[in-house]
Amino acid sequence: MELRRYIIRRLVQIAIIFFVILTVLFMLFRLAPGDPVSRMVDPDMTPEEAQILISELGLDQPLWMQYLYYLRNFFMGRFGNSFHYGQPVVTIIANRLPNTILLFTTSIILSAFVGVFLGKIASWHKGGKVDAWMTIGALATHTVFLPWLALIMIWVFAYKLGWFPITGMISEEVWLNPEAGIVAKSLDVLHHMALPLATLFLIHFGSYLLIMRSSMLETLKEDYILTARAKGLSEKVIRNHHAAPNAALPVVTSVGLSLAFSINGGALTETVFTWPGIGRELVFSVSHNDYPLAQASFLLIAIVVLVSNLVVDVLYAYLDPRIRY
Amino acid sequence: MELATKKIVLRYHWVFRIREGWGIFHQSLLGKIGLVLLLLFALMALCSYIPPRLDPMYDPMTGVDPKISHSTGPSMRHWLGTDFMGRDILSQLLAGARIAFMVGVSAAFMSIFLGTAIGMIAGYVGRIMDTLLMRLADMIMVMPTLLVVLILSSLFGQLNIWTIVLIIALFRWPGVSRVIRSQTLSLKQRPFIEAARVAGASHLRIIFRHIMPNVLPLSFLYMTFRVTSAIIIEAALAFLGFGDPGTVSWGMMLQWVWKTGHMFKAPYWLLPPGICISLITLSFYMLGRAMDEVLDPRLRREQEAG
Amino acid sequence: MNLTHNVKTHVLTARVLILGLLAVMFLIPWRHAYGADMVKVGLLQEPKTLNIWLASDRWSRKVLGQIYQPLYIRDPKTLKFIPWLAQEHPVYDEATLSYTVKIRPAKWSDGSDLTSEDVAFTGRLIKEFRVPRYASKWKFIKKIETPDRHTVRFYLKTPKAIFLTRTLTTPIVQKREWTEVIEAAKKTEKPLHALLNHKMDRPVSSGPFVLKDWKQGAYLFLQKNRYFFGQDKTIDNRKLGPHIGGIIFKIFGTSDAAIMALKKGGIDMFWWAIQPGYLEDLRKHENIRVFYNEKSALYYMGFNVRRPPFNDVNLRRAIATLIDKDFILKRILQGYGIKMYSIVPPGNHFWYCPNLPRYGEGLPKEARIRRAYEILRKTGYTWQVPPIDTEGKIVKAKDIRLPDGRPMKRFTILTPPADYDPNRAMCGMIIQEWLRAMGMPAFSKPMAFGSLIQQVKTRRDFDAFILGYGNLSLDPDYLRNFFHSRNDKPKGWNMSGYKNPEFDRIADLSAGTMDRDKRRALIWQMQKIIMNDVPYIPLYNPKLVEAVRSDRFTGWVEMLGGIGNIWSFCRLRPR
Repeated sequence: MELRRYIIRRLVQIAIIFFVILTVLFMLFRLAPGDPVSRMVDPDMTPEEAQILISELGLDQPLWMQYLYYLRNFFMGRFGNSFHYGQPVVTIIANRLPNTILLFTTSIILSAFVGVFLGKIASWHKGGKVDAWMTIGALATHTVFLPWLALIMIWVFAYKLGWFPITGMISEEVWLNPEAGIVAKSLDVLHHMALPLATLFLIHFGSYLLIMRSSMLETLKEDYILTARAKGLSEKVIRNHHAAPNAALPVVTSVGLSLAFSINGGALTETVFTWPGIGRELVFSVSHNDYPLAQASFLLIAIVVLVSNLVVDVLYAYLDPRIRY
Repeated sequence: MELATKKIVLRYHWVFRIREGWGIFHQSLLGKIGLVLLLLFALMALCSYIPPRLDPMYDPMTGVDPKISHSTGPSMRHWLGTDFMGRDILSQLLAGARIAFMVGVSAAFMSIFLGTAIGMIAGYVGRIMDTLLMRLADMIMVMPTLLVVLILSSLFGQLNIWTIVLIIALFRWPGVSRVIRSQTLSLKQRPFIEAARVAGASHLRIIFRHIMPNVLPLSFLYMTFRVTSAIIIEAALAFLGFGDPGTVSWGMMLQWVWKTGHMFKAPYWLLPPGICISLITLSFYMLGRAMDEVLDPRLRREQEAG
Repeated sequence: MNLTHNVKTHVLTARVLILGLLAVMFLIPWRHAYGADMVKVGLLQEPKTLNIWLASDRWSRKVLGQIYQPLYIRDPKTLKFIPWLAQEHPVYDEATLSYTVKIRPAKWSDGSDLTSEDVAFTGRLIKEFRVPRYASKWKFIKKIETPDRHTVRFYLKTPKAIFLTRTLTTPIVQKREWTEVIEAAKKTEKPLHALLNHKMDRPVSSGPFVLKDWKQGAYLFLQKNRYFFGQDKTIDNRKLGPHIGGIIFKIFGTSDAAIMALKKGGIDMFWWAIQPGYLEDLRKHENIRVFYNEKSALYYMGFNVRRPPFNDVNLRRAIATLIDKDFILKRILQGYGIKMYSIVPPGNHFWYCPNLPRYGEGLPKEARIRRAYEILRKTGYTWQVPPIDTEGKIVKAKDIRLPDGRPMKRFTILTPPADYDPNRAMCGMIIQEWLRAMGMPAFSKPMAFGSLIQQVKTRRDFDAFILGYGNLSLDPDYLRNFFHSRNDKPKGWNMSGYKNPEFDRIADLSAGTMDRDKRRALIWQMQKIIMNDVPYIPLYNPKLVEAVRSDRFTGWVEMLGGIGNIWSFCRLRPR
């Protein structure tokens, strides 16, 4: 019951925050200098033609009208047409979103699991060599400059060794081949996903490892662990079945808190690997003054962040019986 | 008389704390590595003033070797080689260290200042102010800073380095303010604050005299983490081509090597800036963790116990 | 419990391994067997659209160029027009001011005939909707008649030199394909908007290829069009194919990835100018051939001649003298380009005027400063510290003053940002340094491309800028557009605000002159006037360096603008 009220309260908060973001974004996008028509420059285009294009693109209305249109369109799910692609923004985003979700969730889940697992090991060997190297290794991989790491990965594994495709998400040899079935196609995607996934994994697992390690160390001092020890349960059982599940809780929260960081990384990874996702589309649309597309992808990312924060909080509250809001 | 003793005790307390802190810090391997690395980078930043004085061709931005007009590998004249138009990579790398410190420290300082001030106000004033400020913090915290700066920079044209620093600072305070706020909240309950209030101290005095000294160490801990994120954001921005074109930062160097097609052909040009960005963030991070141990008594106790 | 769990894990691992092995076994043969006769072309960005009326980006045009065909195209060697969809050259009737064009027997990719109706339809569509980029080439057409299925007649309002070069090179679309679309568009509030935003999935083709598949973000597959009119025909003494099964356009996103794929054999051609940094490796590669071609391009520095300080022609000439084009060419372009001395690129032999003033040509830095100093000193400029001291030595000048005694205010040179074009951003920075040596308060400022254009074209609030046209038309009518005082208005093409009645007169005359030689004399005169007044300082024209794999296909046709042209794709053969 309490949980439900908490969720409702958070939902209202999210709605307000989102409305503020919506408004700020509108103001930023309209008040800034920059002319979308200039993206279609051609020495032969006369000013009359340019003017037609402006009015066709709806940029000549007064600002407050634009705002009302903007809100109405947003709530009706109409983000307009992309200046660049000339297609509805929704179509483009719907096309790119699954790719991002695939890469993003896989990388987060993988790095969280490996991080928890290794963090557990590190805490067992606290103060020893294993622990020291793991901590330093985690710190080092966590702080590597991501785009640079991505380039090095491409250079070594795709170019020098030739194990993986250089960029992209699918290869036309497989997808154009009428004989290739669903298995071959999905393996092809996995093959392309390997390097970006490895890059994101390397960047992220370190922080989960460190959080798991320190959280594990704290949990081991809790009373119920002492009780378990007193009961004569084996160390292994205590660690794996009593301490670890509770110690993993902060990792869940940190997934939520580091989401903004992960999204930055995701956009960079997608850009370097030409992964056709929403982050790359945002970078691209921003540099091409494609206002509707940039706006919609940014709003979408904001929604994703807000909602996943909520999910993480609720999950946390649900998992940890001690916490009630 | 009594006041004087109190002051002495207080001073002793500070000296003691610093010495004790240093003792723990000294034991920490991470802290030592971090500090050494950081000193190295600081030295690099200082050295960046030397090459342009030796010869105008070593100017990181405008100096070109009169004899070389394409990228060459390491040589006696150019220890790390030259970039595509014959500029010295070493002097660029040194200048990059200066920019990294400048960006990192100033952005971190600003965000810490903001975060501490807002955190203290929210925690001390409470009620509606607290709610408003913390909701604002929530909102800003979830925004991916890089993407925000990216959008701003494309909208308002090329941003200069100080604008970038300012934007980073404006988006990186909420984490700090959350911590400072909870610290302030717990301090507010403590007897000495109550005593000060009863003695008739003004709110400002309480905040500056009694609360601030107690939250500042925590702020400075966060500062090291803010430095890393500021450096990374600036570098990523420059790498994507949205940096300040008038500055030679490491991200800018990576962008040049990328855009001119020397990526996989000139390792002497590709590797140094990437390694430097990674190492400087690593060293600040390590420093931060070592300081964390110093400042967090709970962890220390645990170390003693274990 | 634990035991069964472990067993399960092992079984799972084994399964995954087997699946992986199977996959590798299946994947490897396919990779080699499939698409052997397809040319794989690397693109940097995703094409924007396949709707020809919206396609303003070069990626879409590269793809659509294989699909929609014009009436006339250029011969790769002579650059003269030759009939393509047309049967023969147009016949001019001076009395009625009309051109008659005969269409050759050709079919659309859906098997239907391409007729004069389609040509007339295309022209009417452009005129009716005032389609951007095409409307200005059609607005002087009074009416279009179709006497029979293979004849179309254009009536002009006034003689226009660009009719032959630009109007008749418009790609022709199929009437059947577009009739419904325009009927629907006309019913909406904003017809042009509806037309431009119509989603075209499978354009009906009259060219050598037809679109089969488009996986967004990955590739476009164009298959050979079996109805292509040129199949096995000889046009312009060239035997046409296509001899290949199709083209696969792969989208890479970055030059690095594309060039690595080229080296590995993942693509046969990278359809984009290659940065000099890559060249050394590519030239050494045994299976890669590098092509060097000229581009019809103009990269230049422009001034705002409406206001001080650049309203003074002497200052502009002094700056032209200070700019070391050899430095820009050798260092920034790494030698891959040519210096420009006119608005018309020298590769455009017929229209290019060879004897124009070359400011400070070949001089070393000191001599440039001396000469610029002479120009400025004679016309009344003064310095606090002049660039030449009393002993005649060069020193760093300080605080230049205008002839009226006021100090020169700081001015900015706007350039595109480095991510858009590193060369222009770099040029701005270097020019800033050269001007500062003369005591001029110059500041180079890279600016997002959209904002830059708005500042220069719409608000017209700027001092100087560096811009370029990567794909100038071969017809020099742009010369008139760039400098005619009529175009000095917001969003007009005369960005400098140049005003010269004499120039306007000659320009207008040239637009209505149909005789090529007479028009050439006028165009030369226009170039002389401009290069004397230097509202623009032409800087360079980059060489187009492209690379292809030589092990799978041969027969690339070199042309102004590179090897990516319709001739190449019609003549490529598997080795």
